[in-house]
Amino acid sequence: MSRISRIRFLAACGACVAFLIAATIFLLAIGRPPLTTLAQMAFYAFGDTYSLSESLVKATPILLCALAVILPARLGLITVGGEGQLYFGALAGTAVVVGFPDGPIFLLLPMMLAAGALGGALWSGAAGLLRARCNVNETISTLLMNYVAVLLVNYAVYGAWKDPGSLGWPASIAFPPAATVPSLWGTRVHIGLIVGVIAALILHVGVTYTRWGIALKVLSGNRKVGAMVGFSFMQQTLLVMAIGGALAGFAGICETSAIQGRLQAGLSVGYGLTGFLVAWLSGQNFLRAVPIAILIGGLIAAGDALQLYAKIPSASATILQGLLFVAALGASGLAGRRSARYG
Amino acid sequence: MKMTGPLVTLSAIRKEFGSVVANDDVSVEIGGGEVLALLGENGAGKSTLMKILYGFYQPDGGTIHINGLPAAFNSPRDAMARGIGMVFQQFSLVPALSVLENLLAALPHAPWLQRRGSPRVSEALRWLDQLAPTLDPHRPVRNLSVGERQLVELAKVLNLDARVVILDEPTSVLTPDETERLYGFIKTLATEGKAVVLITHKLADIAACADRIVVMRGGRVVDRAAARDRSAEDLVEAMVGRGSMGSLPSPKPPSGDVPMLQVQGISAEVQGRTIREISFELTAGEILGIAGVSGNGQFALAEALAGLTPVTHGDVVLASVSIAGHSEDGGIADEVAYIPERPRDNAIVAELDLSLNLALRNARDLPFFPARRDIDGRARALIAAYDVRPPQPSLPAIALSGGNLQKLVIARELSGRPRLVIACYPTMGLDVAAAQAVYREIFRHAAAGACVVWISEDLDDLMSYAHRIAVIHDGRIAGIARRDEADRQILGRWMAGDAAGSA
Amino acid sequence: MADETLLAAGSWAAAMLRSSTPLMMVTLGETLTQRVGIVNLGIEGQMLCGACVGFAVAAQTGSPILGLAAGAVAGLLLSLVHVALCLGCEANQIGSGIAVWTLGLGLTSYFGRSVVGGKVSGLEPLAGPGFADVPFAGPILTQLTPIAPLAIVSVLIAGFWLYRTRTGLNWRIIGESFETGRALGIRPMLVQAQGTLVGGLLSGFAGAILSVDYTQTWANEMTKGRGFVAVGLVIVARWNPFLVLPVVLLFGLSEAATLRLQATGLTLSPYLIGCLPYVVCLLCVVIVSIREGRVGGMPAELSSVFSRRS
Repeated sequence: MSRISRIRFLAACGACVAFLIAATIFLLAIGRPPLTTLAQMAFYAFGDTYSLSESLVKATPILLCALAVILPARLGLITVGGEGQLYFGALAGTAVVVGFPDGPIFLLLPMMLAAGALGGALWSGAAGLLRARCNVNETISTLLMNYVAVLLVNYAVYGAWKDPGSLGWPASIAFPPAATVPSLWGTRVHIGLIVGVIAALILHVGVTYTRWGIALKVLSGNRKVGAMVGFSFMQQTLLVMAIGGALAGFAGICETSAIQGRLQAGLSVGYGLTGFLVAWLSGQNFLRAVPIAILIGGLIAAGDALQLYAKIPSASATILQGLLFVAALGASGLAGRRSARYG
Repeated sequence: MKMTGPLVTLSAIRKEFGSVVANDDVSVEIGGGEVLALLGENGAGKSTLMKILYGFYQPDGGTIHINGLPAAFNSPRDAMARGIGMVFQQFSLVPALSVLENLLAALPHAPWLQRRGSPRVSEALRWLDQLAPTLDPHRPVRNLSVGERQLVELAKVLNLDARVVILDEPTSVLTPDETERLYGFIKTLATEGKAVVLITHKLADIAACADRIVVMRGGRVVDRAAARDRSAEDLVEAMVGRGSMGSLPSPKPPSGDVPMLQVQGISAEVQGRTIREISFELTAGEILGIAGVSGNGQFALAEALAGLTPVTHGDVVLASVSIAGHSEDGGIADEVAYIPERPRDNAIVAELDLSLNLALRNARDLPFFPARRDIDGRARALIAAYDVRPPQPSLPAIALSGGNLQKLVIARELSGRPRLVIACYPTMGLDVAAAQAVYREIFRHAAAGACVVWISEDLDDLMSYAHRIAVIHDGRIAGIARRDEADRQILGRWMAGDAAGSA
Repeated sequence: MADETLLAAGSWAAAMLRSSTPLMMVTLGETLTQRVGIVNLGIEGQMLCGACVGFAVAAQTGSPILGLAAGAVAGLLLSLVHVALCLGCEANQIGSGIAVWTLGLGLTSYFGRSVVGGKVSGLEPLAGPGFADVPFAGPILTQLTPIAPLAIVSVLIAGFWLYRTRTGLNWRIIGESFETGRALGIRPMLVQAQGTLVGGLLSGFAGAILSVDYTQTWANEMTKGRGFVAVGLVIVARWNPFLVLPVVLLFGLSEAATLRLQATGLTLSPYLIGCLPYVVCLLCVVIVSIREGRVGGMPAELSSVFSRRS
């Protein structure tokens, strides 16, 4: 193993150890036995088929949102907009369902999914346009737009789309079977997972083995030289933001359709942010994002189970994500410093 | 007025950077009241030696003595406290701050509260008033010309009551007039008892103001003498090592008079620098040298000719095809070879490997699934042909030294059959042998019918090899002369702003 | 008649000042942090911690001043994570900021549950209710607490300090060029740590103002992205503390306007109106970016943060 990859491997191990130590401290601080709780979490994540399926359910939108971060990152863009794209995609897809609630499945379902993807693509593409045309930092614009998208969904479910039959609970009409994304293996896991894995594969091949991938590498390395040899930063920005947004928007409409069954206010529990974390942990690598998304999905599912059975608020999962992120950043930062000496 | 005993003694200094030995057993004495010239080619180790004295680097071996007592400097602040000041080639001024703020920042005992009229503040401006009386100290440094910035740097150093003033290649960025004024200041400083060390590779500097000379080559001291005891030939031989290199054969005069490149009144702006209404015509095989102090629009001109920046007026026509602003549609035109200044920023992608960097010009024509083997094979051939070291196509470009990076860019640009070659400072960072190889390549293309626009700061080279020489000043062409008509005086006046045709 | 308009104007001014004050403090904090070349996106999390801890302490001790101080300290402690990651481990600054935000989000969601519904007594307003009818100044004096003038004064002091003192000059030098700073004997890491911690202090304080002084409640995720709005406003204010004042006040005006709009019974959904602050902030950033490009006024070391990749 070359020195650089050895350092990276050690960094990954160091991050895991640091995380476990931090998690232990946190659990002690809230008065829970660390080893038992961690073991419980592992069980709730992957212990039996039900737990595994729940983890995969969580992993699906996380993976799609992670891909939505990784692709722009290949062009050097740092976007944290998965949440907003997810919400806006859900909004767009629901619009189709609300508009044509009695459509036949072979029309309604694809149109709904397409609208979801398109909505996310537009939401993300807008930020991309602002970056390419006006040089507006995409991290800030996507962060701000997240809040707007959530408010727009609230606007819809408290207002025009509020289902009168839902007894005051702000939600849209329930999605008809024709608009329900099919699930797999009799569980709540839906085809979104398959789409996510295939998308990860295609994007990986695209970015590593094609001329397009070279264009991305050149533009992210030196925009001026990229322009000199004929690559367009504007085109590629719009493309990667749109594709990323489409994936996140697709995740949004799938969540709404398959998991929640209707559009409602608390659609996402921070899948966008978690996707950002997964993207970072995977080193902006499409293939690695898949197993890491499943692991983190397990963490979130376990957090939900802990809230149900062990009365630990599920916000603990957010804290653990934060600790994991800090550990990973610290380890990779230190590793980068060491390998800079050899590189 | 000489002081007894040397002010500074550097003994047996050794400094290594990885496997490169920058200073090898170097001993130099510096005395007050005299100007010592540290002469040598690029890479000879002169800057490194002085940076050690200034505390920027720590020596791996050897000692420093000030007035007979040993001294060790861990940082420039220690050196400044002992009265050693250095004016760098890359200025250490903060562009966004004003002149006054830069001067105040460098004062060790500046007041905490900085009121404009206070006596401490006036003291900070004392030397600046002498060096540049018309300069407004509240202007931000980024609006100053290069010559003005150097004067601010010098004032900064003198504010510290430096007893030893080190100047690193000061005249490389000045017009002939400014250079003369600087020589005057240097001599004045020496008369006042300061020790002045002039790091340079230009013989003109030595002739003008040096009292003593130390010549360095390959990290070692190869000669020391009083200035009057050495002739120019002696110095060149000491610098270069084996008698002057035979000069290259002059390029063939251009054939025919059908213009190949027509530059028609172009104006453009790049990064704040503009060019205005520049026109000239070149026939096939003609080499036009563009002389001028850097910062007068050379970059804008090169970018406009290459089609990388849109022209606001006029047109650039190559072989009857307009190429101005060509890259808006699809990158630089195929018939144009462009060797830009600062290749690390403008010609390569640092994180990519050498193979991909060499394939950049054809990147858009690659198949959708490009075959790495073909790209690597072609790269290997180019690396071998142009002697790029280390010859490993999978290395990231950032790992190359400046000179090898230049060779890489030249390999990429000059391995085709361009009609126009734009070469900006093409021999920057190259030793004499490599520089000659580059010139041979360029002249080969000229002989094959390409027209060459050659931007350089080296008047000697331009006057030896270019067919015509133009001087760019403040964004305009101040004058063009044929090689046999041009002399340093005329060119110098144009560089200072006396455009051709004015009284 | 004139009295009524003056009263209304004063009432608007009071609303504007009240809603701007938290934003002013957090924007000032991030301005100073970015001035030394550090981007801290975690100020949203720091603000949340300040709001939560400040509220909890104020509710427990009955002293709003203690609450405000505790909030500031909470923000400072969370910013230590950013310092440790960015300066200690040389981690990517954007990622670190998001991590700090995540931590702040999680910690306040978790520990803040027990605090919801608590009661705090706010600070005393500047003047008693007897002054309420004084034209223009009346509403301002009776509705504002000492926090508002404190905030304005601190922004002005910060501006003066940055541009007119030696230490302020040092901070600006580090933000423009490490190398030059180091050559002049300034310690870049120390200055950057100081800048980040001051930002943490101010953002925590801002959060505490929000919960203890402005709304006198605590709710989950109550800062609603104000921290990110602040990052945008730093760009609009060109990293100049003196400009932070008018920029934030104008912004506060738009926020006060949206609240007024809702109160007038306009049939526009409160959710749509709630989008206004983010849209306005984004618009301002777009306008500024078009006019000056990214370079104008940005501390030079900062631009290398945005072009560096992890």
